[in-house]
Amino acid sequence: MSEKNLEDFIRQHRAGFEEEGPSPRVWKGLEQQLKAQQRPAGVVHMLKRHWLKAAAVLVLVVNSVMIYQFLQFKKQQQDLGTIAPELQEARVYYTSQIEQRLDDIRKYPPEALGLDSTARKELELRNDTYDMLEKELQANPGNERIRSAMVRYYQLKLDLLDKILEELQAKQPATKTFNHHEREI
Amino acid sequence: MQALTNNLNPTPVTDQLVARCKKGDVRAFRELYDAYSTAMYNICLRMTGNVSDAEDTLQEAFIQVFGNIQRLEQAGSITAWIKRIVVNHCLSHLRRKKVYFEEVEEIEVEEEQSVDEAGFSGTVQAVKEAIAALPVGYKTVLNLYLFEEYSHREIANMLDISESTVKTQYMRAKEKVRQMVKERI
Repeated sequence: MSEKNLEDFIRQHRAGFEEEGPSPRVWKGLEQQLKAQQRPAGVVHMLKRHWLKAAAVLVLVVNSVMIYQFLQFKKQQQDLGTIAPELQEARVYYTSQIEQRLDDIRKYPPEALGLDSTARKELELRNDTYDMLEKELQANPGNERIRSAMVRYYQLKLDLLDKILEELQAKQPATKTFNHHEREI
Repeated sequence: MQALTNNLNPTPVTDQLVARCKKGDVRAFRELYDAYSTAMYNICLRMTGNVSDAEDTLQEAFIQVFGNIQRLEQAGSITAWIKRIVVNHCLSHLRRKKVYFEEVEEIEVEEEQSVDEAGFSGTVQAVKEAIAALPVGYKTVLNLYLFEEYSHREIANMLDISESTVKTQYMRAKEKVRQMVKERI
């Protein structure tokens, strides 16, 4: 048999170089592997196929946790109403009155107010004294003295803000006409 | 649609078959195995040199094929993809057997080619036996180039040696085969 070279020879007789396939043991081994892998891989495969559903469930779980945390936070905020319901009414009233006066005062320029930033901060509703009283009240819900101190705090703050507003209006009337705030409690 | 050009395995590999494999259908894996096992087993047999190692290597390679079928983007490239996995497993097998692919001194390729071009005579059986008798390094290079049709550069990358070393080893391997076949006649 004469050929041009080895490459040509192999190309022309390629089929003669092929053996029959592997024995059945190879597939048997593979089949066992496939069956063994399918159980643990099933979960991963299901997740891959249903990733959108998995993502939706994850979002629902995260949302539930966030809603739970929000409700816990609201509950903490509402503790005062649970501890002292009558004080809660007073707080709603005084808070609105104080915020209204603070809004009026903010319409004046800081120089007209004549107070530095620390003093202006102290005028705000929630300051250190307020926080301390609220904590004390939560720790000692039945303590009448603390309840009275809380109401006194609101009244003093409101009085102070009224006085400041009166002086401001006397010195430099604001562009807007202010209503006279009457206290009902 | 991609058909494997192997007379022993005429089953065509379709996009649908690959899609079923990606869904984890064991029957589809079997069809894929049937389509490729003979051709891939022949690669293993040529590279490892014995039936037992060839079957073990084929099994390992198909485990990887089945496990990574999700990564296959186009069914059209499946033949090259599977073949590369099989070849890589064969090379790993050789490395486990302490076969090292080392750089060799370059020789004049043109001179060697002229010897080969002078003519080749032999039988398929004689060539098969001569290739089987080659040192593992030479045999690997010759098989990858002549039978698996990888380029010298691709073989150099696979074996982590220089392209010139691959060319030199291939020429030496071819010359050894030619001499062994000649001695048999």
